[in-house]
Amino acid sequence: MKLSALKPVALVLSRELALTALLLLGVSLVVFVILFLAPGDPFSVLLEGQMPSHEARAGVREALGIPTTWYGQYFAWLGNLLRGNFGTSIRTGLPVFGEIVRVGASTLYLTLGSMLVTLLIAVPIALHASVRGATPFNRPFTLLAYVVSALPVFWLGYVAIYLVSRQLGVFPLVSQASAPTERAWLYSLLPICVLGLGNGTVSEVVRYLREELSRVMAEDYIRTARAKGASVWRHAFREGLLIPMTEIVASKIPFILGGAVIVEQVFNWPGMGRMAWQAAQDRDFPAIMGIAMVAATLVRTGSLLQRVVYVAVNPRASQQRRGGGWAE
Amino acid sequence: MKRYTQIEDASRPASDVSPWKSAGTLDLACVGYGLIVVAAVLVSYVLGVFEWLPYDPEHISFGLLNAPPGSAGHLLGTDFLGRDILSRLIVATQAYFLPGLVAIAISLVAGTVLGALAGYRGGGVEVLVTYFNNLVDSFPRLVLILLVIAVFRVDIYYIMIIVGVTGVPVVASLVAGKIAFLRQKHFIEAAHVLGLPAHVIVLKHILWHHCAPLLVIRATIGMGEVILIETSLSYLGFGVQEPTPSWGNMVQAGANYFFQGKFWPSTAPALAILFTILGFHLLGDGLNGILEDRSGK
Repeated sequence: MKLSALKPVALVLSRELALTALLLLGVSLVVFVILFLAPGDPFSVLLEGQMPSHEARAGVREALGIPTTWYGQYFAWLGNLLRGNFGTSIRTGLPVFGEIVRVGASTLYLTLGSMLVTLLIAVPIALHASVRGATPFNRPFTLLAYVVSALPVFWLGYVAIYLVSRQLGVFPLVSQASAPTERAWLYSLLPICVLGLGNGTVSEVVRYLREELSRVMAEDYIRTARAKGASVWRHAFREGLLIPMTEIVASKIPFILGGAVIVEQVFNWPGMGRMAWQAAQDRDFPAIMGIAMVAATLVRTGSLLQRVVYVAVNPRASQQRRGGGWAE
Repeated sequence: MKRYTQIEDASRPASDVSPWKSAGTLDLACVGYGLIVVAAVLVSYVLGVFEWLPYDPEHISFGLLNAPPGSAGHLLGTDFLGRDILSRLIVATQAYFLPGLVAIAISLVAGTVLGALAGYRGGGVEVLVTYFNNLVDSFPRLVLILLVIAVFRVDIYYIMIIVGVTGVPVVASLVAGKIAFLRQKHFIEAAHVLGLPAHVIVLKHILWHHCAPLLVIRATIGMGEVILIETSLSYLGFGVQEPTPSWGNMVQAGANYFFQGKFWPSTAPALAILFTILGFHLLGDGLNGILEDRSGK
């Protein structure tokens, strides 16, 4: 019995895994095409002033061991990516992959923390609004969620720094990097809160959770649970809160990563966003390309995890194609 | 994640009563505020183009640096070079107005075409469109834009093409969902039986009669997103450059003075961003509540 319950789940998950791989292949192709179309070619620099013939160019490429066709170049490049070789940063001269891993951890910390903050704000508002309906008490909060979502996050960052560090004197105005290690987490709270508030998704999260929870609360099985005196909450939690929460978080990862670019700039946070900004400034192709690949991988991993949670919570999902990232 | 579900509302038969008459007060208030914002943006754009401004936005006066609002005829004060903030705010609408329209046009047109193909044809086309949607959604917008900036060194219009393309998936899945819902309806079946060609059914009976509100709503929300992206980019130092004003680079330029207690030069453009984006979002959501989401509530 246990095995028969497990099998469809495994099937669905392997399908999701294959789709993720297929999408990441597409992502790498997009990045490669952008790089391929880049104006300026190292060979024209190498052969500058020599007016090389087509054969001479091909000869140089061959001598350097570089494929002449675009798909040959793509597969060579992809093979390097898969081996973790993202090239060398033009600015620092260090391998890009190692650098991304080094700064990626602090970006992950920032974004995961800020997601938590967003949920901590949005879930209570959505819960209250869907259980009680629109009341004079929760309506201002819903409006506040809209206002907060429209706030430019960079200005919010300035206000936060000013209020907290200048007025209250709580946080010294230094970046996380230069802070003493034992209290580093304290300095990181401010950017996490600012990104959690100002990533522009709070109102959407509130609205989505409220709609889903209201929909589930109107279902027959909730009425039955209520009628026989069982815990409504226990019956509504999975469908009404857990699944919508994972869905909305997974779909907002790109926004939060984008917001991280700005917040890291404001707070001088040594993360992937700042690295991306620096790379765009310096035209550091390998660095920005690596960041784009890693960011897309994070997004896809997030939605893969969401599917795993969905299938684990709701085994029916393996039979029906409801709510799928792919089917819909 | 599903973006769009149309719920059949059996309790409320289709009526000829205008949705505006049965609209909730809250939705009407949102739409009203949104329309005021749209009007303000339009007026500012026209004023900026014809240079009907209180002051020259690039006129520097060292006698009046970081002046508070209302001083010496400057209604909203001056910035760190003594330039009139109100004039600069008005001119800065040019930074996103036309580029934003380009981006929205791209996402609406391409999204409608892809969505109509996926929703009406289904099958392999739908799989391809879904793949495209998921592919585009894999990139954080800002990171993709930074990649393109790094490689091509492009100006704001090319950036807005990227913004337009990244806006396609939302429109495509909205339109596809709507069409999949409408296809089960009797009037589409009747059109098939009457022998109307597919393009007439899709263009006239589905898109024109039933998707227009959806697209207007999407365009409004899209404008809010465009403003957010343009201001973020010019804040980061890409896109519009000094001395040409943009709300983003105005916030950035005022930042140094913010910590000296002179909040206004960076707060004024921040508030402009806040009220404008809020206006477009509320307009979109209000219209959505009135025209689309007519079930329940």
